[in-house]
Parts: sequence; C-alpha cells; structure tokens
Amino acid sequence: MRIVVGEGSCGLAAGAGKVHSALSGLGVDVGVTGCIGMCYLEPIVDMYDGERLAARLVRVKESDAGRIRDAAKSGDLSGVEDLRISAEDEEFLTKQTRIALRHCGIIDPESIDAYRAADGYKAIAKILGVDGGAGMTPEAVIEEIKTSGLAGRGGAGFPTWFKWNAARNAKGDEKYLICNADEGDPGAFMDRAVIESDPHSLIEGMLIAAYAIGASQAFVYVRAEYPLAIVRLEKAIKDATAANLLGDNILGSGFSCRLRIKAGAGAFVCGEETALIESLEGSRGMPRLKPPFPAEKGYTDKPSNINNVETFANVAWIVLNGGSAFSAMGTEGSKGTKVFALTGKIRRGGLVEVPMGLTLRDVIFGIGGGVRDGRRFKAVQMGGPSGGCIPESLLETPIDYKALGATGAIMGSGGMVVMDDRTCMVNMARFFLDFTAKESCGKCVHCRIGTKRLHETLVRITEGKGREGDVELLEELCRGIKDGALCGLGQTAPNPVLTTIRYFRDEYDAHIREKRCPAHECAALRRYSIDAAKCKGCTACARKCPVGAISGTLKSPHSIDTAKCLKCGACAAACKFGAVEVL
Amino acid sequence: MESEIVNLVIDGKAVSVPAGSTILAAAEKAGIEIPNLCFMKELKPYGACGVCVVEVEKCPKLLRACATRVSEGMVVNTQGERALRARRLALELLMGDHDGDCQGPCKLNCPAHTDCQKYVKEIAEGRFADAVSTVMETFPIPASIGRVCPHPCEKACRRRLVEAPISIAQLKYFAADRVRADGNAHKVNVAASTGKKVGIIGGGPAGLTAAFKLAQWGHDVTVYDQMPEMGGMLRYGIPAYRLPKDVLKAEVDAIAALGVTFVNNFKIGRDAEFSKLRGWFDAVIVANGAWKSSGMRVKGEDMDGVWGGIDFLRAVAVGERPDIGERVAVVGGGNTAMDACRTAVRVGAKEVYVVYRRTRAEMPAEDIEIAEAEEEGVKFKFLFAPDEILGTNGKVTGMRLQVMKLGEPDERGRRRPVPVPGKFEEIALDSVIAAIGQRNDPEGFDDLPKTEKGTIAADEGNFATSLNGVFACGDTVNKGAGIAIGAIAQANEAALAVDAFLRGGEYRPVKPIVSERDVTERDFADRPKIARAAMPQRPAAERIRDFDEVNLGLSAEAAMAEAKRCLECGCHDYQDCKLVRYANLLKTDTKRLRGAFHTGFVETELVSIERNQRKCITCNQCVRVCEGIAKKGILGLVGRGFATVVKPEFRDSVAIAGCADCHLCVDNCPTGALRLLAKKA
Amino acid sequence: MCNDCATSDLALLEPVFSEFEGDKHALVTILQRAQEIYGYLPTDVIYRIAERQGVSPAKVMGVATFYSQFRLKPVGKNLIMLCKGTACHVNGADSIAAALKDELGIEDGGTTEDGLFSLKEVACLGCCSLSPVMMINETAYGSLTPQKARDIVRRIAAEGVAS
Repeated sequence: MRIVVGEGSCGLAAGAGKVHSALSGLGVDVGVTGCIGMCYLEPIVDMYDGERLAARLVRVKESDAGRIRDAAKSGDLSGVEDLRISAEDEEFLTKQTRIALRHCGIIDPESIDAYRAADGYKAIAKILGVDGGAGMTPEAVIEEIKTSGLAGRGGAGFPTWFKWNAARNAKGDEKYLICNADEGDPGAFMDRAVIESDPHSLIEGMLIAAYAIGASQAFVYVRAEYPLAIVRLEKAIKDATAANLLGDNILGSGFSCRLRIKAGAGAFVCGEETALIESLEGSRGMPRLKPPFPAEKGYTDKPSNINNVETFANVAWIVLNGGSAFSAMGTEGSKGTKVFALTGKIRRGGLVEVPMGLTLRDVIFGIGGGVRDGRRFKAVQMGGPSGGCIPESLLETPIDYKALGATGAIMGSGGMVVMDDRTCMVNMARFFLDFTAKESCGKCVHCRIGTKRLHETLVRITEGKGREGDVELLEELCRGIKDGALCGLGQTAPNPVLTTIRYFRDEYDAHIREKRCPAHECAALRRYSIDAAKCKGCTACARKCPVGAISGTLKSPHSIDTAKCLKCGACAAACKFGAVEVL
Repeated sequence: MESEIVNLVIDGKAVSVPAGSTILAAAEKAGIEIPNLCFMKELKPYGACGVCVVEVEKCPKLLRACATRVSEGMVVNTQGERALRARRLALELLMGDHDGDCQGPCKLNCPAHTDCQKYVKEIAEGRFADAVSTVMETFPIPASIGRVCPHPCEKACRRRLVEAPISIAQLKYFAADRVRADGNAHKVNVAASTGKKVGIIGGGPAGLTAAFKLAQWGHDVTVYDQMPEMGGMLRYGIPAYRLPKDVLKAEVDAIAALGVTFVNNFKIGRDAEFSKLRGWFDAVIVANGAWKSSGMRVKGEDMDGVWGGIDFLRAVAVGERPDIGERVAVVGGGNTAMDACRTAVRVGAKEVYVVYRRTRAEMPAEDIEIAEAEEEGVKFKFLFAPDEILGTNGKVTGMRLQVMKLGEPDERGRRRPVPVPGKFEEIALDSVIAAIGQRNDPEGFDDLPKTEKGTIAADEGNFATSLNGVFACGDTVNKGAGIAIGAIAQANEAALAVDAFLRGGEYRPVKPIVSERDVTERDFADRPKIARAAMPQRPAAERIRDFDEVNLGLSAEAAMAEAKRCLECGCHDYQDCKLVRYANLLKTDTKRLRGAFHTGFVETELVSIERNQRKCITCNQCVRVCEGIAKKGILGLVGRGFATVVKPEFRDSVAIAGCADCHLCVDNCPTGALRLLAKKA
Repeated sequence: MCNDCATSDLALLEPVFSEFEGDKHALVTILQRAQEIYGYLPTDVIYRIAERQGVSPAKVMGVATFYSQFRLKPVGKNLIMLCKGTACHVNGADSIAAALKDELGIEDGGTTEDGLFSLKEVACLGCCSLSPVMMINETAYGSLTPQKARDIVRRIAAEGVAS
C-alpha cells in the first residue's frame, strides 16, 4: 500500500514532518499531500490501495510508524485499527461540497502530473482551443463566469465577471492580473491551504482570468507568514513554466502570461486592493482614493484586476463544469460554495466548504460538532476584524452575503471563530480593535486616531474603569469612523464593536456598572477564591502561585490573599479538585 | 472633451463647471467653502483628512469633495447632518492628538485676553512702541494697569515651571513709560464719525476703556464722573506710591485727545436724573463702580475713628490728611487692606496692625504687597477677627479680637476660619480701618433691575441691561467688585455690544475654541534657569516718608532680558491655522477625544525650519510637497497607524543634507507644526 | 555616509542589486533579501539601498517601518512568534503571552539580555486548530498552556539554540 502524509502547515505543526521521516526510514513508499482540512485530527496519514483510499489514520504519532509500515506491507489493517478515523469524524468531510478545495489533501501539491491527472489544466486548454476544441473568446469566458454567479471570496463579494469585464474594457495595452493571497484575517487560512495543497489550480484560475481580461503579466501577492505556500507555489510556477503552461505562447496558442510571486511583508491593510498595489510597487501599503478603481488605474497606473485565491480556485472548475453547475448551488444572491475556517471553541475545527444557503447551525453544529468541552455556544465571529459576532439566536441565518450582512457581520474571507460562555464579548471587541488599530495604515484621520480611541475605551472597560456613557461614545465613534474612513479597513473596523454592543449589551453594562466580567475573562475584574469544602489541602495551588498569595497548611483548606493575587489562574489550573473558584 | 460642461447643484446653488472638476472645485466656484486639511491644487488628491466629506443625493456613502468628480445633475449637500458629524469627528479626533497650544496661558488667563506673549516678544526685540500698540488693542492705560494689576497672566505663566513667571505686568508698564518718555505715543486711528452719541457714567478702568474703543470707532463719547478727576478707583483707591497720579493723568489725557468729552463732578441723581441723561444719548454705559465700604457688622463700628478702607484711601487721595492717630488697625487681608495699612504708615501712624482671620497663606493680597507692608513696619495679627470696637464717648480706644483657628475647607478650597470659644484679645487703638469689601451704590439708577446683591443686572455676555440702549459693566454689575482688568474685559464686550447696537445689530460674544496643553515641570526640565528680573525699589525707611512711587522701574536692558525668558507658548500660526479655524467653525470640542498623544520633540537644529511633532496632524502635506513639487523627497512617513510620524528629523544632518531650504513644507502646513526660523549663521 | 550606525559588509548586497537591477518596484523585496542577509536592517544598509534604488532614505525608512516583518534592530538567536490570531485569542493567547513575558523578562518586541530570545506577537500564523500557537525559528508549537510555553523556552535555553 502507498502511504500519503498530509503536510500542510497545520499538519506539519502537529508533527506530520516527524511522522513522515519516521516512515521514510522504514522502506515504505511515502507520498505527500496537502491539507484535507481536518485540522483537529492532524497529523493524518492516508493509506492507498492503488487509487482506493483504504484507510485514513488520524492523530498519528512518530511512534506509530512501525505498525503503519507493517499494515502497509501486509495489507492487514488490524494493527492500526485504533488510528482509523471514526465514522462520526468522516462526516466532517462527507457533509461538505468541495470545489475550491477539490484537490486539497488528495493530490500531491508538488506534482504537476498529479494535478494534470485530476483534470488539471484542461480548462485553460479548452479555452485556448488547444484540446482540439474551438476554444473560447475572452468574452465567452467572462460570460461563463457571469453565469456562474461567482463573487469575490476575499470578503466584499463583488461579482467577479464585473471586475473582469471592467478590466477587459479598460483602455490600455498593458494590463495586470493580481492574486491577493495576503490572507490577513486572523482566523482564516483557506487561501494558505489552497496554495499549499493545490497551487496549480490557483495558477490555472489565474491563467483563465489573465486570458479573459487581456493581461500578460500576473502577480501573486502572498503573505510573508506563509513560507511553505511560497515554496510550493514557486515550484508549481517553475513546473508550469517548464510545461509551457506559463510564459510565452502558452501551449502554442499565442497567449502569453508571466506569473511572479511577491511576498508581502506583514501589513493587514494590504488586503485592500489599492494598498496591495502600493505594496507591489514597493511602497508603504497605504490605500489610494477610489476612484480611479484598479480596473482603470492599478499597478503602475495600468488597468489591473485583483481577485483572491479562493475565487481563482473556483474558476477552472466553472469552465470545465459550466457556470450553471456552479450557480445551481446556493441562494438567490449567493452562488456556489464557500470555504470556512472553523476554529475557536469548536469540537471539530478545520476547513469546511459548503454550498451557500446552508445555515450557520448546519456548519457549526452539523459539521463542526458544536462547542467542545460540553460548554454552551455563545457566538460565532465571522469576517474577522471587519466582521462581527453573531449570537445563538441568529444561528438559522443562511450563508448568504446579504443575510449575513444584515446581522452586522459579513461573509468575509470565511473565518468562523466559535466562542463559548467563557469568552468575554467586550474583550473580544477589544481584541479586534487592538488588531485594527495596530494595522491601520495611519493615512486617514478617522481610522488612524478613531480606532485608537475605540481601543482605548474598550481597554478601559475591560479593566474595570468604564464610565457611564462609554457605550454611547463607542457607538458614536463607530458611526463616524464608518462614514469617514478612507478604505475598507477603517470603514469596517467598527463592526466587531457594533455587533457586540448590539447582541451583548448586557456584558458591556456589567463591566461598566457592576465592574464584573460575566465570562470571567477580564483579569482586572476576576477574583479567585478557594472553596473550603472542596479543598483537600494538597498544597498544589500554593506551590504554583508565583507570588505566594496562597496560604494554608497540609490537609487543611487553603485561602487566597486577594491583595497579593495576580489573577494568573495558575492555582485554578493546578487544583485537581475544582476547589479554586473564579468569581 | 475639454469644453464639456457639467451642471450640478451644491447646497441649493446651481453650478456649472468643466467635466472632470472635483466637487471641491465646483463648490469653490459657487463660493461655498468646504473645509479641507490635506488638499493641494498642485498635487493629486490624497483624501486623508476626511474633513471635506459631503453628502451626494442617491449616494449611500459620504464622498470626499477633494477627490470626487462632478457628474451631470449631481445634488451635493455640504451641510448635511451626517457630513457635519463625520467632519466634526475628524476635527475632534485631530484635536485629541494635537498639542496646538493655540494661545499662551498668559493670554488665556487674562480676563481681557490681552496678547501678553506678543508684547513681551516685542519688548524682547526692543520694539517698545509696538508693544504698547499691542496692549492698546485691548485697553488704553498700560502704564497704569501694568502697575496695579494682580496679573493673572503671570499666575498662568509656564515659566513658573522653570523657576519664576515672566514679569509681564512690569514689562508692560516699562514699555508704556518708555514710549511716553520718548514722546513716541501710540497713534490711534479714529474712524469717521458715525454721528451717534454714547454717554458713559463712570471714568474708571471700565468707563475709560469703553470710551477709548467707542471713540476709535467714530462715536461721540461723553464720560461723566462724580469725582474731580478721571480714573476712578485707579486714582482714588490706589495710593500714589503704587500708581503716581501723573502717570494716570497722562493716559487719561491721551483718551481725551481722541475727542472723548470728560465731565467731572457730575453725579447721577444730583446733577441729572438717569432717565434724563438717557435722553441725551443713543446709548449709555453705566460703569460707576463700587464705592461703598462694606461694614464689619460688629458692635461699635459706628464710632468716631472707624473708617471704611476705600473711604480712607479716597480721603488721602484728594489731599486730606485724616486724623487716624498713632495706633491703627486695618481689618482685612486683600489688596485694599495692604493699600490702607501702608497709607496709614505714610500718613503718620506709629503702630499699624493688619487684623486677618486666616493666616498669611490664605491672604488674597499679592505676596509682594504683604512683603512690602512688612518692610514698612506693619504688624500682622493672623487668626483674629474683630469682635467689638471698644471706645469711650463715641471715640475708638481699642478693639476686642476673637481668636480664630482654621477649620474645614470651603467650596473654593480655602480653609474656613472658626472661632476658638472663649478666647479673646484686646488691643488699644486710635482708629480702625475696615478694608473688608466694597459695594456699588445703586442710588439714582432705580430704573435698572438689580441682582440679589444689589448690583445692576446685566447680560454676562454683552452687558446689556433690560433697558433698551443701556449697558452696564465693571464693579457695579452682577458679581460686583473685582480687579481692574476684569472690569476692562467687560468694558470691551460692552463697547462691542454698544457699537453693534448703534449699527442696528446685536452682539453676542463667541468664546474662541483653542487647543490647550497640559504641562508639568518635567516638560521643561531641560531649560536653563534664568532669574526673574528684580524690580529696583526705594528703601523702606525712605519710602514711608512720602507718597512717591516705591518701584523705580526696569531699565531697558533688564526689561529686554526679562522678556527674552518668555517660553513663547502660544502658537505662531494661530491666525493662519486651518485646524483651529475649522474647529471654531464646527464648534469642535478639543478635549473630548483625548487619549494617547504624540509627545515628541521640537527640532530647531540644522536648517531654518522648526518642526514640532506635538502639533503635527500627519496630513502628509509636507511630505507630498517635498516629493512632488520640490522633488527632494527628504521627508517621509515613518511607522504605521497611530504611531506614524513625519521623518527624518531636521536634526539628522545626513538625512536632511539635500534640503533646498525652499520652505514649501512650511508654507503648506495647515497647522503650526512647521515654522520658518531666521536663517542660521 | 552614516555617522552613528553599524558598519555592515555592504558588498553582500551586490548580488541582490544585480538581481533587481532596473526594477523600480522591488524595494520591499530588496529589503526582505537584505534582512535575510543581515538578520535586520542596519542603517547603513538602508542608506545603501536608497542610493542604489535612486530613492531618498526617507522613502526606504518609510517602507521599512511600515511592514511588521522588518526589523531595525538585531533579534535574538531564537525568535519567538506568538500568534495573537482570533482562535488563539479565544483559546487563551493572552495568558501564554503573560507567561512568556514573565519567563523571559521582556515585552513584545524585546530581546533578552543574553541575546537568546526575541519575542514578537504576530497576527494569525494560520494554525488555528492548534491554538494557542507559537512559532520558534519556523517550528510551530501548538495547544500551549502557560506552563508548556515556559517549558519549551527553558528547554531551548538549556540547549543553547533551537534546532
């Protein structure tokens, strides 16, 4: 049997690399694939019998290598039975519909042949008419994309065909195609997964777009924090160039397209398209005024089109399967599928691709298995720093640009961070404003100073120094920043604050009026005490306390000096009897 | 293409502009001002400040007027509530991180907002006549006020945080004396006659100031005063050893020279009824002061030998030598008490006491006045309150004093004196002078509504009374007696109100919005200490023998050196600053959105440009002109987000090596963050 | 050219300049290469890049201070990148940060006196399922607890340099 190790960043971080080395030392055929998206089960090892997946092993350790080899050599899987994925966990995948992620975790990302074997580069061949067919005009390609209803997956949800068409119609003999792979939303990693696991589908999608708009130069702007993605994309570009799928006169069609990687250098705002262009030009990534839009004046003032990774990853599929196959999925206003990164306090976290129109509950509970550790679901954060927190009462909201927008959150790039009753929503807002204030480029006043003031006010509230009127101040600032900020970052930065106020106003009031954090998360408002009835006097807490705030003798109940207490929580973690209470 | 014209409507006004114009340009053509802080015609629109946002019909978002191109039929509203809100928020956010220091604390703390910093600088530069002109923009009697003012300006002076405040008051009268001695009097331009007549009752600081202003503006002014000379309390309350009569007289004469008619020995009720006088004029200002001494409300105060403080001072001022005997007690702790005790010494008393119910620390009198009284032999009895004036045959022989102690602080934070039960002390005296306060005399002004205190009720803003055309200011209104510069401040407002009234309008003062800075000693830790100028004085033994002036005045050298100590707190760019202008236009709260602050530095080292990081609003204008017009690119932005600053620093010799000294950056800075200095040698 | 800064071996930059010759838009990439060479961006390197790219030092400084990847000071032997992404935040990244700061005695962005560790809080590392996560010299450490984070740092300190 052939053994394939899932080696995306997540898998590697979980130890897939060590498993791989352990296996390769044992004389078995070990292959590599990307990320299947079941991050919570990493490292994952697949055992193939020919093309058939015979067994999927999860949470594999280095020490399991021996018995995996034995099983692979003998074909008898009984020795690894305990490692096999459970039926329940398999549902995580079977409940999904994968288009953008269609090859992820299945094919070898470093092999162009593997991609070609999975219908790779057939779409571009069809368009260029080098597969024996008639080919497609750029207009026909754009029409197909229009039929599909594909919208930008980076967050804004703007119709892809419209942007392509604008760039196609823009005057200029030199046009640029840019892929935004500066996946900045904390909690979203689908773009990274696609590049790491299926880089050729990105390249093919970009080739199709370049052909449609008439660009012969293309860039992929990748986040610097994604070294593995860069390495795999570099190899893919090299292989595709060698196969004449990139460069001049592609497959003899006369169409040429050069693709280059530019690594970002760490600035969330560069996800904004005009900032990204500034960055590509080697400048500070400060957004430009729009209009002119990039379709008119983009990179070096030439017409440019920018889409994100997930958008491109759908394109080849649409061309091969037809736009209507794509638009058959989804809702009235949102077509196709969307990938989500399901994280936080979730039982089964990872990458989930589902048709639009499913409800949030379907995704979080149906696929993700709900909240872990038996806690209560409180909210799901969608759309990262530009999005908002959606409460339990709105879990029936369908995945649809408009419906999600109505909650105050946004579809965004697909981050879905689940929170339980121990997550403080004020602190959550503070967290996001800390992020946006640090990531604000500093150009426009509303964002530069406004997000700073929002953050300061939220810090004050979480530290128990909130004042009556602070919520109103936050709302006023939010409204003004939304109206006055120059770019999307600033205009959406207030969303985490507004949604938490909208759905969790009581938590703000508890912090401000009662100096109490209902989730017990805000350290300044937290108090530890020992329940004498539960305390066995084991001294474990006293030994862990870094400041000697806990006193008591062996076998008698201990107590905490709240004046000395740093509220680090070490005692609660150390107590085996649940005697340390957080008040 | 070029000739294509687009029609749109801005704030209800139809405008036609060439296609491709921005809303900002179209508004400018229509004469509508849209505020903006980062726009420059010569450069591409930048869009950072967010102050130029406007509402456009059928557009869900606010648009930046500097960058949005007009389209046919566009309907723009520059004054929509939403746009104003976003605009004001931008200004408040900017002000929250802008240490503008628009005006020096001296000017802000002067009740009349005299531009102290300006005239101090003029004195530092030896431009004494200019300095006097600067003062006279606010009031006409600098030599007099310089001598008597308790100078709130100095109390606010930040030089105090280095070692001691600038001697602002002394500098003022130095300049005024010097200019008079040089025969270099300030030239006042008098406007063409308006034909309107204004009567002013009272020739004290308030009346004189109002007369001076109204006369300049072309009105025919007559000032009435019950005393034989003009000057009011400056003449009849302030002893000559502090303010020589000829100094005051010269300043009064200069006002008369403007065409103001002075009528002395004229008392309302006696020489004319108020209602009758009103008939002579188009407008009247009542500024008759507070000339009645307050009583002590103790037994025996109606006896012979008990004087009211200002009554005593007035008697001396008119040349009488009141018989107060050898042992005199002055009751009270204010400046009038100090004037009274020191005058008593000069009149010949051998033993002079000041009886005050608190301690020295709580005395409202100026420290220097107390010190000078002590030098002149006055004895202070602290923590005593008069209990009873003792006497025989209706003549004072002494006073029983109640021993006091300090209790809980009152609402102003001063500790309240409380009697120590049963503890008393007696002193033998020939007379008692009660300098504990003064009241106005409402007699003859029955038509005018009064306050509970018996003062004339006047509007706190424009000092109009309820009688049409009658205004009232100074010690006679509202809160009653205060300091001279306070009365002058009111007189300036009243004069503006009268002028507006005479022109058929109404005046409402608007408090200017400024950016103020909070500072501590630490902000000035690196300043070298320079001693405050010492005022030369006549020795105590000599000066108690006469009423000649105690202070001898500063020399020109000393005054200039003193003036050079000024920290020049107020912003040089206040007049031209766009930020503060818009802040006023939009009624912006400058302190509401304070938080983390750019502290930073002031650079003055290498080129002839000074940059103050605290005032920078990161509009990037300087960076863009340096790169886009000067083609130097020396300046740039460093950092990100809130921490973004303009760099390099002008003190970095390598980084600024290419500076062409073109000053385009300074010229285009919308605030006072950049400043052109004199060329470095 | 630079009075008060490090003297770097500027010859190491030449291959980078050759590679990007004529590319006006390569400033970010050149700075990335320079940082790979020197570990950080010394002032003299910045001046040289400005000179060779034909732009002002202010422009280069502006870019170098805009992106969080660039450092103007050397870092310790072991660079700890602590993820402060949303998932990590929800799963307790703040307590990990507190433990690391306490253990190392430095703040975010600081370097220990012995030059062994630098701590940098970063936006999402993208390993959300392992949250809270930190990455030390390209190796990710997931499912951290404050104690686990301390232990990892102590182990690396004992070994001298992480592998």
